[in-house]
Amino acid sequence: MNYSPLVFPSWNPHQPEISDLVVQHDPETLKRLPVNKREILGVFERFSNVRAIRVIERIRATDGFLESAAVDRMMLAVHWEMQRLAEEFYHGHRVFRLLRATVDTLRSNGSSGPIRIVDVGCGIGYTIRWLAAHTALPAENVELTGVDLNSTLVTEANRLAQAESLPCKFFHGDAFSANLSGQIYISTGVVHHFRGDNLTAFFRRHDTSATQAFIHYDFQPSALAPFGSWFFHIIRMRTLLARHDGVLSAARAHSASTLVAAAQTAISGLATGMYGARIWNTPAPRVFHALVGFRRELVPPMQAKLGSMLGELR
Amino acid sequence: MTLLVLYFLASLDGALCGCRTSMGRHPYIRKTWYYTVAVLRGALAAQIASWLSLFVLLGVMAVSQDRNLLRQDLQNAAERMLWIFLPYAALVMGNLALRLVPSTDLRSATSVLFLGPLTALRTFVMIAGVLFGIWRAHLPATVFLGLVVLALMLSLEFGLNLYHGKLQEKQIRLLI
Repeated sequence: MNYSPLVFPSWNPHQPEISDLVVQHDPETLKRLPVNKREILGVFERFSNVRAIRVIERIRATDGFLESAAVDRMMLAVHWEMQRLAEEFYHGHRVFRLLRATVDTLRSNGSSGPIRIVDVGCGIGYTIRWLAAHTALPAENVELTGVDLNSTLVTEANRLAQAESLPCKFFHGDAFSANLSGQIYISTGVVHHFRGDNLTAFFRRHDTSATQAFIHYDFQPSALAPFGSWFFHIIRMRTLLARHDGVLSAARAHSASTLVAAAQTAISGLATGMYGARIWNTPAPRVFHALVGFRRELVPPMQAKLGSMLGELR
Repeated sequence: MTLLVLYFLASLDGALCGCRTSMGRHPYIRKTWYYTVAVLRGALAAQIASWLSLFVLLGVMAVSQDRNLLRQDLQNAAERMLWIFLPYAALVMGNLALRLVPSTDLRSATSVLFLGPLTALRTFVMIAGVLFGIWRAHLPATVFLGLVVLALMLSLEFGLNLYHGKLQEKQIRLLI
């Protein structure tokens, strides 16, 4: 999306989100790294983003580094709040419709063993916990898992699953690593965090013989999306970070053509395309659309099951 | 009758405030009990506000020199308020009823396009309703009572939000 200087600095899609910066990990060991408050303030000062600066200034710091407990408390509050958004949009139902069709297709194509669904960047695991609570997938030999780089969120996801006796598990680590990888990858609001070459690199990691399908939900960009997102967040969200990042996410969201082009460049073994871009076949866009990919032999039955909601798969 | 309708609307508003201020503050999947308690808490808060309003009303009545005139003036003001409050309540309840239709798109649309904006309008509707009710009042006591009711109803959501916020903060501090 192009950015005009006339638009608010906090909507500039070229900048990162606050949540991208306040928690940082070593890419190799995944160990949490100390975050220099001055440095991340500098990032947003370069974008004249006063709102982001205000959020970061409020986070307690010791010796110039953000206090991890303060950051974790804030991130938990934000993720609890984000769950409300998923609840209001009936996100569990939406994901399940696609997963139901995918699992049924896999089974009818001869897959009888366990199927592992991996929620990439699961946060506190709302989608997976919802599926565990409301669907028969676990009883059908489908393993429901979530993976995130943020260990605090993973701990919380496991605590919540345990508290409600839900048959699902969450792991701290790399979702595509040998021990955590699965057959179906899903995510919500994660893909736009990958920019440029990182987006292609992210999709390239799907390109293994084990991967049968992926379903990545994210905001659908449009000229009105940031305004709608701003209004929705002002009414529904309370934490300043959620309000800031929620609107910026809508501004940073990738277009369908960017997503499909990156996925098709990166993945050779799966046919990819968009799902659920329009409401009831009208020109009105849905808030969320999904980039989907299926093994080529699964495409005809998936098209039969999903009908016109499924765009062209190539 | 008019006062009874206003009391019912205040209770309904309190229940919805209770639900709204509790949302996004509990991360379980199955939480019917949590929302039930929150709705009851809101309805209870509305009872407190209503009873406080009644006590103030009785106090004003007790010192009034012409109780019949005051009663009539209050009745007229309350009837005018309903011209604003009833359509608003009907819109809210209509949209909540639409959510019974088993369509994810329709349910989401009611949330984004109607319930969200209606929530944003609540404060303005409260102010508009009370001002519309008292602007043609003859007695200062009616104006005073209208403003007391407005202050109580506006503080209802503020208080519930504060309470649920503290509760959430305490829960998160127990975790980290």
